[in-house]
Amino acid sequence: MSSHREAPEISKDPVADNTDVYAFVSPDNPNTVTLIANYIPLEGPAGGPNFFEFGDDVLYEIHIDNDGDGVDDITYQFRFQTTLQDPNTFLYNTGPIGSLTDPNWNKRQLYSLTRVKNGRETVLAEDLASPPCNIGPFSTPNYTALAAEAVHHLASGETVFAGQRAEGFYVDLGSVFDLVDLRPFQNLHINPLAAAPGVDGTNRLNVHTMAIQLPKSMLTRDGSNPTNPNDPRSVIGVYASASRRKARILGADADIDEAGPWVQVSRLGSPLFNEVMIPLGLKDVWNAEPPKEDKQFLNFVQHQEVPRRLVEYYPGVFPHLAAYSKPRADMVAIFLTGIPAGVISGFQNFTGQTLADLLRLNMAIAPTATPNILGILGGDLAGFPNGRRVFDDVFTIELRALAGVTIPLVDPSFTPDAAASVVTDGVAPSDIASPFLANFPYLGIPYSGFDNPS
Amino acid sequence: MTKLTRRSFLQQTPVSAATLSLLPAMPDLAAAPHSPRTVAPQLAATATGSMVIHVNDVATGEMTLLVGAREVVLRDPRLVARFVEAAR
Repeated sequence: MSSHREAPEISKDPVADNTDVYAFVSPDNPNTVTLIANYIPLEGPAGGPNFFEFGDDVLYEIHIDNDGDGVDDITYQFRFQTTLQDPNTFLYNTGPIGSLTDPNWNKRQLYSLTRVKNGRETVLAEDLASPPCNIGPFSTPNYTALAAEAVHHLASGETVFAGQRAEGFYVDLGSVFDLVDLRPFQNLHINPLAAAPGVDGTNRLNVHTMAIQLPKSMLTRDGSNPTNPNDPRSVIGVYASASRRKARILGADADIDEAGPWVQVSRLGSPLFNEVMIPLGLKDVWNAEPPKEDKQFLNFVQHQEVPRRLVEYYPGVFPHLAAYSKPRADMVAIFLTGIPAGVISGFQNFTGQTLADLLRLNMAIAPTATPNILGILGGDLAGFPNGRRVFDDVFTIELRALAGVTIPLVDPSFTPDAAASVVTDGVAPSDIASPFLANFPYLGIPYSGFDNPS
Repeated sequence: MTKLTRRSFLQQTPVSAATLSLLPAMPDLAAAPHSPRTVAPQLAATATGSMVIHVNDVATGEMTLLVGAREVVLRDPRLVARFVEAAR
């Protein structure tokens, strides 16, 4: 998965499990950038009566590095608080929820948003309402209206939303984890079966989303409005994290005491980084480290396991990849430094020599009216790995990159195998039952428990 | 820089019932005649809520005090020896 349950420890702590991060120039408001961080993987929509919610004991953060040192210059912190209107019922709601203040809605979450800029904390808003989970037609009869109520426009310039959304990351999980038995290509697999269409393993599942939209000028290092793609000031690096207090004491009567500083337990910049590049024995360590320390993982980026497995599981299909033994400089550029100017015409998202897994967005690249879900691989400079839009097919993009299509960017002597430019899990945005939205917060309406599974 | 003895530290710092419940198991703790230990000077002034003491290394007496959203590392082998004794 993108970063769902990707490491041993965080797979047991879903409330803190950062699943996806997105950063893109807002297509409907191109003077702004939208940052999204998702948590709580694979939410079954019918999971009541304690429907999914953010952790009151988790510090959620979206970090922005705007000067290339791998350290956040701007951080947005979300802190949640759950309240019960009526502790004497077992129900999440006792009637239809018609608004975010409806007395029928029993278990609610409010949150505060704090901005930390150059070390200075500013509480931007408190008691912001999250919407309820999507229960069903009797409990949440107009979910779209409820969610719209939870989009808050702050005086400080940010628009913010935190609540349940439809999972936007699409991938054929069943085939990927069955020894990369990609259904459209399984006739070529070491254990061949007839080729078949892909199956979206995350379809009809939900996540919990934190989304911020803000003017680009609030993200640049000097407050300038980025218009020149070649200007280093146009590039930001983004990652998200979740942290827990260092100590937690379980007391009598379900009391819980917490103490000590916040300790990072999950982080995510680029999709699939920890998932497929970092070995099992180091995944928890990776989650605990800040991006500026990613130099220690360089070897795993230069020498990846996925290409070796493709060669092993698809005998004879990737002969050029099999013969390529140089360190993968293309992977280092895509994931750890950004792509320097001169490699791809009209594009760069290079942030310097600091090796750090960040989702790097060149904010001066305007969104296109005809986006390609393969992003830069598809000739669309506004897509992954220039940031990441909600609909980008990051699995296929990374699969093809790992299979060798991006090696010629840094090593013209290499000719990719024919299969490298067509290999895919066969899943597309059209496989998602709840479509992406054209405006903030862009991820689809969450699936209701009444209708899913169906 | 203000120096703080372990005794005054315990006297000045609000501690939770959970932490205080450790004390009956260590009757000599409050009066233990240890030499002064330097602790971050702002700790006693701002500590609220519960406090957790984690002995990182019994052999060296290194401990981490977790209080509020902060942590302070100090070393006191004699105090840790008393903890060990109390835990027998």
